[in-house]
Amino acid sequence: MDILEKIPSRREVIESFKSTGGKIAAVYPYHYHRALFRAFDILPVEVWGPPGIDTTYGSSYLQPYVCSVVHSGLSFYLSGGLDVVDFIVVPHACDSLQGLGSVYIDFVKPKQPVFTIYIPRGRKDLDVEFLSKEFESIFNRLKELTGKSVTEDKLMEEILKEEEALKKVRELYSKREQISLSDYHFYRVVRSREYLPAEKFMEIADHLLENFSDGTEREGVPVIFSGLLPEPMEILEKLEEIDGRIVADDFACCGRRLYGEGKSNNPFVRMAESILNSPPDSSRGATVDERVEHLSSLVKKYGARGVVFYIVKFCEMELFYIPHMMRGLKERGIPSVYIEVDINDPLPDQTITRLEAFVEVL
Amino acid sequence: MSRVKAIGIDVGSTTAKIVAVDENGEMIWRYIEPTDPRIEDQVDRFLEKLKEELSISDEELKKIPIVATGYGRKLVHQAKKKLTEITCHAKGVYKSLGHGGTLVDIGGQDSKVIVISNDGKVVDFTMNDKCAAGTGRFLENTAMRMKVPLDKMGELALSAPEEVKISSVCTVFAESEIISMIAHGVAVEPILKGLHRGLISRIVAMIRSVGLTPPLMLSGGVVKNPAVRKMLEEATGQKVILPEYPQFMGAYGAALIALESTKSEN
Repeated sequence: MDILEKIPSRREVIESFKSTGGKIAAVYPYHYHRALFRAFDILPVEVWGPPGIDTTYGSSYLQPYVCSVVHSGLSFYLSGGLDVVDFIVVPHACDSLQGLGSVYIDFVKPKQPVFTIYIPRGRKDLDVEFLSKEFESIFNRLKELTGKSVTEDKLMEEILKEEEALKKVRELYSKREQISLSDYHFYRVVRSREYLPAEKFMEIADHLLENFSDGTEREGVPVIFSGLLPEPMEILEKLEEIDGRIVADDFACCGRRLYGEGKSNNPFVRMAESILNSPPDSSRGATVDERVEHLSSLVKKYGARGVVFYIVKFCEMELFYIPHMMRGLKERGIPSVYIEVDINDPLPDQTITRLEAFVEVL
Repeated sequence: MSRVKAIGIDVGSTTAKIVAVDENGEMIWRYIEPTDPRIEDQVDRFLEKLKEELSISDEELKKIPIVATGYGRKLVHQAKKKLTEITCHAKGVYKSLGHGGTLVDIGGQDSKVIVISNDGKVVDFTMNDKCAAGTGRFLENTAMRMKVPLDKMGELALSAPEEVKISSVCTVFAESEIISMIAHGVAVEPILKGLHRGLISRIVAMIRSVGLTPPLMLSGGVVKNPAVRKMLEEATGQKVILPEYPQFMGAYGAALIALESTKSEN
């Protein structure tokens, strides 16, 4: 059976969840804690664009040099794509997303309540404390809005459930080389975590691990991808056609969210500890050295031969890093290539040629 | 028995090229013409021409390995392997000049800078982004707009004692800017010189992004333009070296890779 047949679409999941009385929160990229919403029977469904939509709706609020993820994200709302959701959540991943939060609150004024989350850049105790308070204030506001008296024990129960799902994602990554799935299929599974309830995701992941781990070694030139997301996802099929394969990633939607577990018995602190214990990334203000070290360790661990920076056009937070990171990797003898994409455009031939040339060089 | 041991085909956005090599990898035949939208038919014609001019039979041709490169490589069904221009240009130039360095290839639709090691391997590369600025098409478009023959553009640019600054190197905006300048009575030559400067500044930025490893080498159709070569030398402070057949380096490299594949199979 094709693993994709087991993965319901976002629409199916939303309809099914709502039919049981649950509510939906549309969540923009990319750091937040799913348990915070699940405790209130709210399913977080992430909005990474979506790609390929008419972005002219958003153009009346956003400058042309704002990235296509944010342009699509707002256009999706304005064209009615988020009518079905009950809450909108905008974490502060970058200036454009912070701007989007303000655009929603000050200008668009949607019917749904809008939550913004400020994720601190540091990892110190003070940052944990700040974020835990941020989560607690959202928790209290959700209590008010939903009228549900959710206890901290219930929240902890959801946190533990999400931790189990995260463990499953880690397992998928650690066994990636033994899972006989194309990169396209693998990332469809991993990215289904963007909208599936933890319990459903674990069911699919278990099915995958049981039925697709035949021990056959994957073939192709091993590379690591870094960037926001693998969109258009056709890039993964193209990579396979040109004899390349992803052995690990530093995608904002995937690898950067392999959080460590929190330790505290206080649910808010535990969620904050977990989120702040993520791999170094651009949205968290990691230093160039930390990011180079992280990518180098992935290269070493997974035997990759190079790094592909697959960057969404105008993604300022990524672009500041790129020249320094490429130089840093080069100094360590790791080749890299920079590829720019717009998630709303078809994959240009030049992009494919650049990737193909890189794989040939490796 | 035919001397042709391998064939390389480079289907670029502007011109299509074919090269045949002997067992030592020497270029023994080459041919170029503007790219036809029906690429498969064009390649069939190329192969017919090769057969005719070098007296190769159908049976012999079937045994000769073909590697295709260039923008239209995927449509060359006659090829046993398809590789990018980066790999093929590097291969062709290294064999032609016998050393590594930094290769600038300015093609019709894209430009690339390739750093080649002393043993002929691609160390690093960069390509222009999706826009046409920094490519041959940029010059072609502006030549057309100014009603200047493409092959005279470089000479005219170099003849200008001064140049005007073209503030935009976007092909579309550059055209508007040119129209405005002409309307203000600016002579053609300084405009052309400014346009070339714009193109070179894009290329130099690409060179800087990978780092210049001397010597600086140049290939691609734009090589025929003397202003590009001269201004590139001025901008980088490096003498520019050209292979004997700069437009054929992609096809030549493809042929050499096809030849290597037969040797490794044997």
